[in-house]
Amino acid sequence: MTRRLCALLGGVALILTLAPSGALAQGEIPRSFDGNPDLNGVWQAIGTAHWDLQDHPAGPGLPDMGAIGAIPPGQGVVVGNTIPYRPEALEQKQRNFENRFYDDPEIKCFMPGVPRATYLPYPFRIIQGDKKIMFIYGFSDANRTVHMDKDNPEPPPIDSWMGRSHGSWDGETLVVDVAGFNGESWFDRAGNFASNTLHVVERYTPINANALMYEATIEDPAVFTEPWTIRMPLYRRLEENAQVLEFKCVEYSEDLLYGHLRREPTRPAPEDR
Amino acid sequence: MSHRRLVLAVLAAALLVTPAAASAADYHHVHLISSNATEAIAWYSRHLDCEPLSDRDDGVDCSGVQVVFDSTPTLGSSQRTGIDHISFSYEDLTAKMAELEGVGVGGRGVRLQRFDDGSMLRDVPGLFKYGFIFDPWGTRIELVEDSDTLGFHHIHLASTDPDATLDWYQETFGGERAQLKDMLDGVMLNDIWLLAMEHTEGQPAATSGRAIDHIAFEVDDLDGLTGQLQNAGLSILEAPAVPEGGRTAARRAFVSGPDNVSLALVEAGFAGVDVALDHGTDITTEQVANYTVPRTPWGDPDLQAVWTGDAAHGIPLERPEELSDSDVLTPEQAAARRERGTLGSIWGYESEWRDTTLGYVKSAPSRQVAMIIDPPDGRIPAMTPEAIAARNANRRDMSGRTPVAGPEDLSIFVRCITRGQVPSPGIYNNGLQIVQGPGYVAITQEMIHETRIIPTTPTPRPGPDVTAYRGYSRGRWDGDTLVVEITNFNEGGSYRGSSPGLVMTERYTRTSPDTLQYAFTMDDPAVWTQPWTATFTFVRDETQYELVEYACHEGNYGMPNILSGARAREADGQ
Repeated sequence: MTRRLCALLGGVALILTLAPSGALAQGEIPRSFDGNPDLNGVWQAIGTAHWDLQDHPAGPGLPDMGAIGAIPPGQGVVVGNTIPYRPEALEQKQRNFENRFYDDPEIKCFMPGVPRATYLPYPFRIIQGDKKIMFIYGFSDANRTVHMDKDNPEPPPIDSWMGRSHGSWDGETLVVDVAGFNGESWFDRAGNFASNTLHVVERYTPINANALMYEATIEDPAVFTEPWTIRMPLYRRLEENAQVLEFKCVEYSEDLLYGHLRREPTRPAPEDR
Repeated sequence: MSHRRLVLAVLAAALLVTPAAASAADYHHVHLISSNATEAIAWYSRHLDCEPLSDRDDGVDCSGVQVVFDSTPTLGSSQRTGIDHISFSYEDLTAKMAELEGVGVGGRGVRLQRFDDGSMLRDVPGLFKYGFIFDPWGTRIELVEDSDTLGFHHIHLASTDPDATLDWYQETFGGERAQLKDMLDGVMLNDIWLLAMEHTEGQPAATSGRAIDHIAFEVDDLDGLTGQLQNAGLSILEAPAVPEGGRTAARRAFVSGPDNVSLALVEAGFAGVDVALDHGTDITTEQVANYTVPRTPWGDPDLQAVWTGDAAHGIPLERPEELSDSDVLTPEQAAARRERGTLGSIWGYESEWRDTTLGYVKSAPSRQVAMIIDPPDGRIPAMTPEAIAARNANRRDMSGRTPVAGPEDLSIFVRCITRGQVPSPGIYNNGLQIVQGPGYVAITQEMIHETRIIPTTPTPRPGPDVTAYRGYSRGRWDGDTLVVEITNFNEGGSYRGSSPGLVMTERYTRTSPDTLQYAFTMDDPAVWTQPWTATFTFVRDETQYELVEYACHEGNYGMPNILSGARAREADGQ
């Protein structure tokens, strides 16, 4: 029985692998009206990159949260696993981790920035048209418009959390060049971070109909000695009713941010922590 | 910038070699930009005891000094320009400040500029008490208690080199270099002090277009003085001539004085100019004959653009009773209404914040009387008795008069949670970006960066327990119109008392290359006895407009300030 099932699955895999191009097969990459890959849909990363981009063992979280808040172990998504921090920046990263329950922009419901928005544990939708590609993320109402028509001035007029995104096609790959960051974002809950000189080049390459390979090259001479790259797959959410829901997290961050200013304070002031 | 520095350097050199040639001159007027001269005349008469000029309708007399107003949008406050503020003196400043504080900042009120410790007044022994306020159009005004000179007191310049600047004014226009109360260096000219404070952060901003646009001097020999200033290296912005619309045959010249200050030189008898106000064209109601809505490559009507609601700012939701017979406002009424809307909103903001004042939109203000078109009387239909009872039970004081206990006592807008279901235009960030893909439309509202995801093919709705502040949208194309039905609202996002059972239907129709008509219908039988529909028009202007990231929660400095203010008031026993 088991052997028959294995043989059957092997057969399916073989068929998929050998499906001739042009035939309608499950693995085939959908095409947009202009012949480019069609990235429309709801996507999500699976893994622990949102906890820590690098290899990491399991670790404790807030005691009150029990096992729910603990850090699950994970294998890194950094190519080569090393983030080439400048020495003083590495110290900052370590301070960030120590102070993460106050300082992490995610805990405060701040916009996650790029690339963090991509691999937060929430789905995001891509709406791909002819002039712009819109990314709508499932956390903190973050969104960004990828300008494919290059009709905006560069560099961007003001710094922002989500940066200014310009896109182009490199064969099968959507390449998005993002700059104009405000330097407030982190990359993960481990405190990895960048400054306002951050420049991210993202590459979205379809693997099959339901998966993309995501790659982001991160460059920030103020923080890193050289560019480095993260790489992970993004998966299509296949539920029939898959959609990005409204997650307005502001109200769940207010006590953390303002609890010390309540009439009945719920926590000490930041300077007393 | 470097050009200005050069001018100053040349000027300084000229001062060294040219013997002082003090011309006979007199202050003629101080010229402010106020958006609306009529409103400004009322404000200065009411709050600073000035009197409307008897022979013209664009200025006031403040104890002998003419203050004249331009009815054009201002580029911002006078603070940090070369003419930082003007000053008025009162016998009892403590009483005057208390009176002005009582006016409040709402509408055409008075904004107090408090000192860092929260106080309104400072007292410098041997000098006088002083404090600062702003007029509604950004003019910074110092109030002093100097019984030697009551009424209009001084003009305060900001300069990189106050001594040289004062020397220059004295040598150019006459008067006397003296010290006010033996403490402050100045020039006394016709009983008005001209003072100069040091500006340490680079050059002061140019005054032209800002709330204090320029100072005007009446001079005996206009050609002679203009020539002399030109020879000294100053820029002549406007050569001596009778200005267009000049009310008399007196000529005027404009020069760029030290510290980027615009100075008008006028001949005796100058009485300002009559300006035909250009209110522009309201393109929101223009009909484009046989307009064909463009199509996306996949065949849907193409609504993609950056749209702004600025032209619609000021249209009330409900028809005012006094306008029950009008179909449209006059352009003057529309301009005045938007000005009132601007002042009545977050008033303390400087004009840089107010897109609608700056006119960052192709269209003149909409002349539409009210947004509600159905029922035909333009009023929201009667609420059901149950809805009225629920509203009264939930009514909370959000005025800020009672100290708030926590963030939950403030509105969802102040908390940066949502801008709400209806993209009603305000004074800024009225942008709407529409991006389409096959089967989907994304509409991003600039304010609080909220994106509505709208499937345009039949797509199951989330179950009734999946509710949200902005609900969930399902769309379809009805000819050229995008029709969006929104349901699944939560309790927190109520719009004017709407319940979670609200069904909101939006219609987006492109009526010309640059106009997008927006209509919404509110159907909520538990709350309103009949559905109602409102409409306004968005205008496309991608040459000037781009959505910026409105990071509301991330930059919500207001929240800790409101809460810590509430705690301080409680500590004071309020």
